[in-house]
Amino acid sequence: MEKVIIIKYGELSTKSDNIDFFLKTLKDNVRNKLLGIEHEIKYDRGRMIVYTDNIPEAMEKIKLVFGIHEICIGYQYQDKDFALIKENVLRLIKNISFATFKVVAKRSDKNYPGTSIEIAKEIGSHILKGLANKKVIMDNPDLIINVEIRLNDVLIYFNGERGLGGYPVSTLGKGLLMLSGGIDSPVAGYLAIKRGVRIEAIYFDSPPHTSPMALKKVENLARILSKYNGEVRLHVINFTKIQEEIIKNIPNYYLITIMRRMMYQISAILASNINAHIIINGESIGQVASQTLKSMQVINEAIKMPVIRPVCTYDKLEIIDVAKKIGTYETSIEPFEDCCTIFVPDHPVIHPDFKLVKEYESLVDFKTLIYEAIKNRKVIKINEYEEKNYDDLL
Amino acid sequence: MIYLDYSATTPVSLEVLETMNRTTKEFIGNANSLNALGIKSKELLNSATKQIADLFSVLENEITYTSSATESNNMALIGVAMANFKKGKHIIVSKLEHPSIYAICDYLSSIGFEISYVNNDAEGLIDFDNLKSLIRPDTILVSVCAVNSEVGIRQPLKLIRQIIKKENSGTLLHSDMTQAIGKTSVTLHDVDLASISSHKIYGPKGIALLYKSNQVSIKPLIYGSGKSNELKPGTPALPLIAGFSKALRLSQADLEKKEKYISLLNDRLCKKFSSLPDVQINKTKYSIPHILNVSLLNIKPETFIHAMDSEGIYLSTNTACSSGELSSGVMAIFNDVKRSTHTIRISLSSQTTSEEITRFLEAFDKNYHMLNSLVVKD
Repeated sequence: MEKVIIIKYGELSTKSDNIDFFLKTLKDNVRNKLLGIEHEIKYDRGRMIVYTDNIPEAMEKIKLVFGIHEICIGYQYQDKDFALIKENVLRLIKNISFATFKVVAKRSDKNYPGTSIEIAKEIGSHILKGLANKKVIMDNPDLIINVEIRLNDVLIYFNGERGLGGYPVSTLGKGLLMLSGGIDSPVAGYLAIKRGVRIEAIYFDSPPHTSPMALKKVENLARILSKYNGEVRLHVINFTKIQEEIIKNIPNYYLITIMRRMMYQISAILASNINAHIIINGESIGQVASQTLKSMQVINEAIKMPVIRPVCTYDKLEIIDVAKKIGTYETSIEPFEDCCTIFVPDHPVIHPDFKLVKEYESLVDFKTLIYEAIKNRKVIKINEYEEKNYDDLL
Repeated sequence: MIYLDYSATTPVSLEVLETMNRTTKEFIGNANSLNALGIKSKELLNSATKQIADLFSVLENEITYTSSATESNNMALIGVAMANFKKGKHIIVSKLEHPSIYAICDYLSSIGFEISYVNNDAEGLIDFDNLKSLIRPDTILVSVCAVNSEVGIRQPLKLIRQIIKKENSGTLLHSDMTQAIGKTSVTLHDVDLASISSHKIYGPKGIALLYKSNQVSIKPLIYGSGKSNELKPGTPALPLIAGFSKALRLSQADLEKKEKYISLLNDRLCKKFSSLPDVQINKTKYSIPHILNVSLLNIKPETFIHAMDSEGIYLSTNTACSSGELSSGVMAIFNDVKRSTHTIRISLSSQTTSEEITRFLEAFDKNYHMLNSLVVKD
């Protein structure tokens, strides 16, 4: 008998053609997550099993991996003798306190005698004979006893924990997240990661108008996302020159529209460059002037690459709920301004006009500035574990 | 030199000193400044605080730096009193506290708070029944030190907290953990507030901290403009804080191993002392081995300390902060005036060598017999 972690897959079971690719990616993601913990992973199309001496710590880490429906601590037996299975179940549950239970049996070894229901029933009656004062109920029992009779082994496990769901990160390709220091964009990133998109991030830095602390804050947000995504490459664009040119040359009510169009263009060029298929951002319909439908249309027109806006239909409070759940909220509300909020006109246009936008953009040689900004970008690789600052000192 | 007064203070470890030196030279910016040097200092401050928070599994913003455990005790007791006086004015403390706690209680008493002193049993543990009976609806705070500084009694804080919260869920628990940190493992989650000092764990003097759970709000004692912490405004003492953080990290390594080693030294001392007729060992099964308190019934403690001083061996009478008075800890447990006025405290460290103990015992033997024979017996 071996105590193991059993991983049940989420939506993967619907991916009949490329399930092996999904499972291998999931295995790689679990393995990367368990870096530093000695472990072994075996999997088939039914279950993934993790063998390790450090189950509690491994559980905590696996809980952050997408593509998992449920994680259970269980017991694996090589011997499939039914009498033995019944005894093992009884022995395992003796020390668990419960009043009501049900047995769920699964028989993927189709040559094994009896149907799943018959197997469950027989194990149930064995428990009732062996333990006093226990009752079988189907709805919400204290203990769910799962017995899976598989081709080469038997798994016994109890109430599992819900995984994060979604798809294994990377299985759907790569996206570039426009990451500001706000509440929305980290949530948008998380939601995209959840659907199997591996993200890199782009941040528009505008020194000296923005503080180094604002960049630090974005790095910290990227670090939180790296818990789910794996390493996040953060592309820091020096946006100062473009922003200053906009302020000097463009009528102030169009500042934001043009600024966002520049950001989109830089993001799209960078995205193609890093083989990302989409841009992801935290825009939410109606939240600010640049997020009216008309504004979004005019801004989006600057590029051809698809832009995914995972929180576009969320209310602010709904976004905050997710931010709190994933741990980005506290960092997002730190008071350092990013480049979107430092130069805000009193009355930004909410119905921008295409013709005017084109006219204004022709006033500055933005193209040169855009390529210069991309060329001079700084790339920071951000991992879950911050290289501890001043480790040698402390 | 043989130093056996580690519970009074400890020498700064060379590694910690190096950290303070480098921080002083390389981090000149004010951690509250916006400029790059300030930000660099702020980053070090944050890292130092995070390290401490991680050591005790608490949040960074639950830590406030102070200048001493005495200041932390003031901040906790007066801070809780001022924030809660509308709810109640009753405070309970043990009879085994550091003198600073009693001084604060005297002050609070002078401005209208009522202080109760909870009994302990013969082994030095808080008398749980007495504690239960003292807690009232208007009891706002209980303060019990984690380890007593004179007799080294370790209190079961978790249990104490359970008893308190059962009687009155609004009553807060503060613990002065100064003598516990680095000697025995502590859990900050067992208390609402805790005082921890640096100079007992080979860190610099002049720096300590108050842990305050985010569930608790207290009134600040001082006001200013610093952004780091509303309870302690002003420029953070970065070199001291960095040194403190490092000392705390080092102090948490091999706690059990160190305690076992010190127990062996303690056993050797006790074996010797118990062979002497006029020596009483003030220790119970709850005493930690680092602190060994004995009463030399026929010898004036100061005289003995000076005699040992002249041989380069350094001890205390009782707590350094109440030298010359009756040992309230010994009195609270053994209820014997003579025993309580004749105490010396030997405090041990994992740095204490077996050879030092041998030499200490030789000097002790010599001075004990010399001074004991000079006493006029009645």
